[in-house]
Amino acid sequence: MSQHMSESESEPRRDADRRVSSDQHGETLIEVDDLKTYYEGNDFFGGQPVKAVDGVNFEIARGETLGLVGESGCGKTTLGRTLIRLEEATDGEVRYDGTEVTSLSGSDLKQWRRNAQMVFQDPQSSLNDRMTIGEIVREPLDVHDWKTPRERREHVRDLLETVGLQKEHYYRYPHQFSGGQRQRIGIARALALEPEFVVLDEPVSALDVSVQAKVLNLLEDLQDEFGLTYLFIAHDLSVVRHICDRVAVMYLGNILEIGPTEELFENPANPYTHALLSAIPEPDPTVDRDRIILNGTPPSPRDPPSGCPFSTRCPAKIRPEEYADMDDDVWEAINLFRVLLDERARADLSIRDRVREFRGKNVRFDEITEVRSELFGDLDLSADVERHVDQAQEYVEAGEFDRAREYLAEEFDSICDREAPSLCTVGDAGRSSACHRHDDEYASPDEEL
Amino acid sequence: MMSVENEFDDKTLRERIAENPRPAMLWVAGLVVLMALELGSIAAAVLRVGSVVKFAIGGIANTPSWMAGFVSESLGSIGGTIAYGLTALALLVIAAIVVKWLFVPFSIVDRLGLELGVGKADVVERAIVTAVVGVVTLLFVATPLGAAVDAVIGALTQGLESISSLQTLTSRETIPNQGYQLPDGSWEGTWLGLSPAMAWGARVLLIYAYAFGLLAWFWRGYNVFRNHYREADWTPRDDSVNRFRNHYWGVFGFVVVFVFVVMALWAPALSPVTAEANLYSPYEHEVQYYDEEIEDVASIPHGEANLETRSVGGDSNVGLMSYDKYDRFHPAGTNQDGKDLFTFLAYGSQVSLVIGLLATGLMTLVATALALMTAYYKGLLDLLTVVVSDSIISLPRLLVVLLLSVVFMEANHPIATIYDGGLLLALIFAATGWPLLWRAVRGPALQVAEEEWVDAARSYGQSPVETMKKHMSPYIAGYMLVYASMTLGGVIIGVAALSFLGFGVQPPTPEWGRAVYEGRPYVPTSSWHTATIPGLMVVFLVTAFNALGDGIRDAIDPESDASGDEAGTSAAASGGGG
Repeated sequence: MSQHMSESESEPRRDADRRVSSDQHGETLIEVDDLKTYYEGNDFFGGQPVKAVDGVNFEIARGETLGLVGESGCGKTTLGRTLIRLEEATDGEVRYDGTEVTSLSGSDLKQWRRNAQMVFQDPQSSLNDRMTIGEIVREPLDVHDWKTPRERREHVRDLLETVGLQKEHYYRYPHQFSGGQRQRIGIARALALEPEFVVLDEPVSALDVSVQAKVLNLLEDLQDEFGLTYLFIAHDLSVVRHICDRVAVMYLGNILEIGPTEELFENPANPYTHALLSAIPEPDPTVDRDRIILNGTPPSPRDPPSGCPFSTRCPAKIRPEEYADMDDDVWEAINLFRVLLDERARADLSIRDRVREFRGKNVRFDEITEVRSELFGDLDLSADVERHVDQAQEYVEAGEFDRAREYLAEEFDSICDREAPSLCTVGDAGRSSACHRHDDEYASPDEEL
Repeated sequence: MMSVENEFDDKTLRERIAENPRPAMLWVAGLVVLMALELGSIAAAVLRVGSVVKFAIGGIANTPSWMAGFVSESLGSIGGTIAYGLTALALLVIAAIVVKWLFVPFSIVDRLGLELGVGKADVVERAIVTAVVGVVTLLFVATPLGAAVDAVIGALTQGLESISSLQTLTSRETIPNQGYQLPDGSWEGTWLGLSPAMAWGARVLLIYAYAFGLLAWFWRGYNVFRNHYREADWTPRDDSVNRFRNHYWGVFGFVVVFVFVVMALWAPALSPVTAEANLYSPYEHEVQYYDEEIEDVASIPHGEANLETRSVGGDSNVGLMSYDKYDRFHPAGTNQDGKDLFTFLAYGSQVSLVIGLLATGLMTLVATALALMTAYYKGLLDLLTVVVSDSIISLPRLLVVLLLSVVFMEANHPIATIYDGGLLLALIFAATGWPLLWRAVRGPALQVAEEEWVDAARSYGQSPVETMKKHMSPYIAGYMLVYASMTLGGVIIGVAALSFLGFGVQPPTPEWGRAVYEGRPYVPTSSWHTATIPGLMVVFLVTAFNALGDGIRDAIDPESDASGDEAGTSAAASGGGG
């Protein structure tokens, strides 16, 4: 029931949201519609694909900087690479200025590539050491037969000056430059074809802090000078706050929250954003803050949770009604127990273990009693809960993992486990966040945390 | 943003030389002098290359009719005609690709102002070039134009021939060493009346002095370019060169290999007797000597004299640095047939060099192309190549080589007749050897394919072929050079081993392995040199090639010292096994 409501409401809201953002930052340059990028399994026989980007929607207005933040491995780099066609999208659409990009090929693709360029993360690996700086920056021009060779060389020299190097550096080799200078060369190369859209893939994370600021300022100056549109991928939140107009928070291939930077940083809506922001170090030691520490690691993108991607670690996960007033520690322990069961059930076994399993040994969970006492040992379980946990343990001991998981799911599943939340508008400035707690039915994440 | 006035305006190399011509002129003048001394040999070399090219073109031009004959046997004359047309077309297309690559740096489609998609434009471009090449070919075949060109080439050839008869500084005629000793101890017919040993020694010294002088002059040329004309004041290559110069093991290898190459190139002048007189037709060439019985100068065919000068142990022996009874000087003694061993070895080095370079060159070509493609595209192509190369590697190589060479030779296949089976051997070694090379560079190739600059190239639309050429191949080239130089040693050993077994290069073409084989029975006798000298030379040369490879590797990659050693020894081991 609630699912229908939230979906039917969120659809028109999303459209409204787009209009708002377009009004604020000028016309839309890039529209991403339900984009998915899966990597095929390494297995010869198919297997589960890695869902690096699993259905994201957003747009970037002309001239703005959209930040993309998230933990390592959440798919932000893959998303950036898919946008400029370095990876093939599995599904969905990317529209650049109205042109559908994911289906371009051949000469159309080559022509389109002039519009979208990328600055890479590692300045050591992104420049070919055997070529001079001039050759490196000139190569895109050569590829696209830009004017005459003489004009190309002049253009390259001007570019070198634009990014804060000298014309004389044309005949130097990358070895002769520092990390910051090399990154400037990479930026010059990205700008050679005068693109409108540039993906910056953690452009300063490999640099010294002292150099980071200079490169960031250069990027901002270039944006003003050439009217560039940036997608800024980063995991350094302070850098993002400094340079971005809007920020998208990514987790396990999904965008959980997207909105104007200041609002998002001041007043995060999504529980994950809360957790992420609470990890920013606070320079003032007297300030007392609640750090939200998440349990465990993100689940495998090969097999993401069925409901909300963040449900396995969410500190504000919605509980079933009958357990609404359960002790927080017990609730956490139950969730951990379920995550453990899931992981063990899915784990790859060695051949030896497989043989043992075939012979009826309980290899996946032979230490179940210890786990139980570890998790629930000092907790005061209600009779009801104790009974469910005992029952699940029995199933596990009998080797019936799926049954144990189903049993626990039936008892403790909430909407967070069953349905993926869709983005809905929060705040006033066109911000949206994907969390079931934005439904009026439930307490908002702010209250919960 | 564009500034029209640019103080760093580009200059071509020609403009830079025109600005400061002195160093370049000096260097070129020196080179001209050095070349003039050898004008005759250069003309002869050009003639030889020309005849090989003519032979190759003739062979290629015959393929359509060869194919037609082949097909019409099974499918009738219509099939034959179609096969003729298709083969001719395929050849034209290949020729067009080469012509476009070499001679047409601009886009014809653009010049004509045709508006086409990029994919189509490439096809149309090729079609235009193919058509032009086809028309030109037709003109040659069907009009007097062909005859005119033939006449021009003929005149050129004649000119070159007359030049090639000029005496050169390092030819054997400049310092003749063949003569006879009169009873009073003086020598007739040799250079300045010196003994043949001294005359021969002087000639060898002169040749090597010239060769090393030429090498030094080219090195000087590189330095002139580096100091006066290169725009970059430093390149990564400078460091590599400096590292190699201080790598004594590598320099040793280089010097030995260079000495060997000079030996192969100057074999006619280095050997005390001509190959014709010594190896190919000893009964048609005579040697003059002073006969004590008739107390006068007499002459005898080399072949007959050889019967008296055999090194077969016991009393019948002509050892190192000695004269035989006909006053012929033998720096390395004679072999079991009484022929001069040094001449055999000098010409044998030519054979080894040609086969080794040809086989290694082919192997390197195939292995590099495959390494680049498999690393770039991965997937099915990679898998297929792995399967094929593993299958080839799993075969015992020497046995396969043996089997193939015997099959082709017994069947008298036309390929087996070229260069007395040398070409066949090179092809067989290349066909069985490329997987080892490919395996050796597969790792580096995969590594470089993962670099971000390859992604960057893709992100601005660089074509796969160009990406492989510009961004991947330079990083493989170093490894390739290393492994190729080591493999070269392996091929030389392999050819020697085959000849030793009696299946390699057939007599009378000299080959080191056969010398070992034929001299083997006399190792324990006084004629030990007949097998030992050629054997030692093989060992020496292969060691030198491995040393050169080591040096190049350390020069290219200063960090490979520790980790690269294992790879080096394993490659040497596998090379040696071939």
